[in-house]
Amino acid sequence: MKKDLFPKAVLKLLKENGIEEDDIFAASATDMNTECLYADGFVVLTLTQLAILLSAPDEKEIHSFKGYMTKQKAFDISDKEWTLKIYPLEKTENLKAEPQVACSVLTADVDGVTYRLTAFSNLYKREMHKLVRTFDKICMETKVNKDLEAGKEGKPEDAPGPGQFLDPWEPKKDGDKEPESKEERIKKLKVYGVEDEKEKDEYCPTCGMMYPDRSRKVCPRCMDRKSIFFRVIGYFKPYKARIAVLFLCYIATAGLNLVWPYLNGTILYDKVLAKNNEFLAKFGIEDGKYITALLMVVLTMLMARITIIVIGMIQGVFAAKIVTGVVRDMKKSIFGNMGKLSISFFRSRQTGSLMTRVMSDADRVTGFFIDGCPYILINGLTIIVSLCFMFSIKWQMTLMVLVVMPFVMLIGLKLRPRIWTQFGHRHRAERAVNSQVNDNLTGARVVKAFGQENRETTRFEKNNLRLRDAEMSIVGTRNLVSGSYSGIFEILNISVWLIGVYLIMVAHEIELGVMITFVGYIGQLQGPINFFSRVFHWWSDSMNSAQRMFEIIDSVPEIREAENPVELEDPKGRIELKNVSFGYEVNRPVLKELNLDIKEGSMLGIVGRSGAGKTTLVNLISRMYDPQEGQILIDGKDIKDLSFKSLRRNVAMVSQETYIFMGTVEENIAYANPSASHADVIRAAKLASAHEFIMRMPDGYDTRIGSSGRELSGGEKQRISIARAILSNPKILILDEATASVDTETERDIQKSISYLVKGRTTISIAHRLSTLKDADYLVVIDNGKITERGTHSELEALKGTYYKLMELQRKALALKGIE
Amino acid sequence: MGKFDGFRGGRPGGFGGDEEFNLEQMEKETEEMLKMRFLDKKNAEFKATGGGFVSLKVGDEEYSRIQVVRMFPFTDPDHYISIRTSDENSKEIGIIKDLKDVSKETAELLVTQMNLRYFTPIITKIINIKDEYGYAYFDVMTDRGQCRFTINMGGSSVVHLSETRILISDVDENRFEIPDVMKLTTPERKKLDLFL
Repeated sequence: MKKDLFPKAVLKLLKENGIEEDDIFAASATDMNTECLYADGFVVLTLTQLAILLSAPDEKEIHSFKGYMTKQKAFDISDKEWTLKIYPLEKTENLKAEPQVACSVLTADVDGVTYRLTAFSNLYKREMHKLVRTFDKICMETKVNKDLEAGKEGKPEDAPGPGQFLDPWEPKKDGDKEPESKEERIKKLKVYGVEDEKEKDEYCPTCGMMYPDRSRKVCPRCMDRKSIFFRVIGYFKPYKARIAVLFLCYIATAGLNLVWPYLNGTILYDKVLAKNNEFLAKFGIEDGKYITALLMVVLTMLMARITIIVIGMIQGVFAAKIVTGVVRDMKKSIFGNMGKLSISFFRSRQTGSLMTRVMSDADRVTGFFIDGCPYILINGLTIIVSLCFMFSIKWQMTLMVLVVMPFVMLIGLKLRPRIWTQFGHRHRAERAVNSQVNDNLTGARVVKAFGQENRETTRFEKNNLRLRDAEMSIVGTRNLVSGSYSGIFEILNISVWLIGVYLIMVAHEIELGVMITFVGYIGQLQGPINFFSRVFHWWSDSMNSAQRMFEIIDSVPEIREAENPVELEDPKGRIELKNVSFGYEVNRPVLKELNLDIKEGSMLGIVGRSGAGKTTLVNLISRMYDPQEGQILIDGKDIKDLSFKSLRRNVAMVSQETYIFMGTVEENIAYANPSASHADVIRAAKLASAHEFIMRMPDGYDTRIGSSGRELSGGEKQRISIARAILSNPKILILDEATASVDTETERDIQKSISYLVKGRTTISIAHRLSTLKDADYLVVIDNGKITERGTHSELEALKGTYYKLMELQRKALALKGIE
Repeated sequence: MGKFDGFRGGRPGGFGGDEEFNLEQMEKETEEMLKMRFLDKKNAEFKATGGGFVSLKVGDEEYSRIQVVRMFPFTDPDHYISIRTSDENSKEIGIIKDLKDVSKETAELLVTQMNLRYFTPIITKIINIKDEYGYAYFDVMTDRGQCRFTINMGGSSVVHLSETRILISDVDENRFEIPDVMKLTTPERKKLDLFL
């Protein structure tokens, strides 16, 4: 917990109870009491005490979670009842943050009894986890201390560090570093007030709210739509000239549209058809040549129409060119950044939907900028200019229009949101139908095998009906909107006509042509008014899309290359793990303070039940994730300092999830090394026992495989990925259940190639089938995130522990197969 | 093979001479695995501990702290309750088939434990929902007081447990429940419309 977040009042209270701020080693806020009632509080840890301060639950208080949480949580204890419990650390053991279903409980054994100390929501999971870790470390240090006081041998300087204490299998240290003194080690344990790189800037500087997503330093509430807007504009910059042409087209069309009613009304009726000689004279037409005049007017009208159509075509072509260009640029930057993101990004999000959505977002954003943005200006101008013309023609009739216009806007603003919600419903119904179809296609065999076709059909029918209903309601609302729109405009037209007829026939104030011009302008207004009633939604929708797009573009990968990366020259392949701890979620550690030294050129076998953390361990070595604590070294260099190029070139992994890209067999094998020669590819395939089955395919190495090509069996895919790893010729080879889905015979073949392959490289092999590990120089058993056994095969067998048990079990399983 | 002599015993014909393999024993192990031990007021004694947990005595076995876990937390919360050891790799000690099988006091004790475990505020009133930039901001009244939280719009933050029952998880996976949407007022349902 950060120092500046800690309320002064609490510090004062602690001080009164003998805890100085300088003594605090770790602290966390909490928001529930032991009965899971919302109540503010703090947990504070010093070297000797654990203090728990809880206020009385207050029903009236508002509980804010992430997205609402402000930086300085007011904790004014003066007006609250509170309890402070202080537990001496010497009597406290096993402090744990136990995860419940949707919150956690802090428990500890005090004098041998397990106590519920406080509960807390997931908001404080991270802080509390840190506090618990610090507690563990302090306990370990003090335990060492006690042992020493009890007269055990060894100087304090020789006492093992915190991590080593848990793990009796710790390999010997190089001894090249001066061991730290206990005081120094203890000092390092302090996390209170220590700036953590990961926790930097957790709060939005503008509104003080905690960011909803810590990996993305964007506050959605403060995100400025204007800045997003201008950022999107940036994508249009390369197309400046084309945009200029586009704008000329827009303006020309708008201008011609404005002239049209005048041409169509006043000039045609009042000047030409009314046989106005004065007017004719203006254009140099002799008196009485009305037919010529009429022809000219018609010709002009025709020309105007044709020009509008031609301009429209030019506009279409240019708009298409700009849109496709901008969309391509946007997608390129999205896809480019997507590739750089760490595995954890894809793990934490529903990637598929996110990605497809973002891809279509690019279209939506650009669509608004081309079809929406310019028209704000043009339609705005059209309305103003039309109204001006109308006023100049007859202000009384214009007033009529001004009275009606707000109603039209109102209909739009009232009814449109309903359509949007209905669109949302339809979208979800569509998704339900689609995902069921997808589900049934993928699971067709299971559906048939269990004879559940009818039930699936009923289920489908239900979703299908929902889709129909959603569709129907959209149609309904749409009809309502367009109906009331035209209704209002009809009423407007009729009343304008009535007034007009009165003005023409009775008052003789205007002529028929003027009337027609006026009605023409009313028609002209319809489109722009309609446009303005939806443009605001369109705008915010498009800004939302833009924001999602920038979310991907701006995401900073969690795993980043060091600023001055080190290259591995002449790699040897030694791997060391020092006190490595890691968990995908903060309070569920998968690996706990692991220590391991893998000698260069050796083969390490990792055994353990599923979920023990084996795959996680190799994921850390290949730096798919970074450990939360501890270090991983390759040839004595921290992998965080290595360049990605060095790391990827020297570490190759064949994992249990094989993936075949769209392409030929050869392209797939040469994925990591596209310049490999045919001979290299064939050699790698042969080594992976893949050559024979590849040659049985009609197009040999040129056979197209992957999602659009030929289907491969699990074993075939696995052999292709082994060949891929072989060809990349790494110094460190990781085989994560590499032979899990091949038959025994193929496995034996691959075993042979592997035993050839491991020469001269460090190999880490994970396997359920122990026979796969027969060549391992060294084996470790991982259980529950810790190394529980280590040694050679015969050492582990003699130990009669987990390894022995697994061996026995597999032997029995084989025996069982024997009776078949 | 060398190092793995042990595997050879498994080949056809090899099984007769293999003393390690014992069909009877395996059957016994399987039976053990399938056995369900039902706990009731006759064979199990639950007691509240001083630390706020529950202890159990069943036959000769004594557990100073146990966990109470529902097998069907949403669809059948009062039946099939698994009583488990409290350590990290918890194992099942027994099953309570029906909360009525234990005494009223015990049932109360266990329900209290479960209420803490399944802590989920019940939303009684929707004050406001605002969605913006991929997140939805909720301001609601719950049975535990007013809560303000944020959910991610992209993911599966809103789960329909039934036609009318909704479970909402915020960005930190704190849970909130609406047991019956139909009990909300029409304006409230309208605010929620986006998620229905």
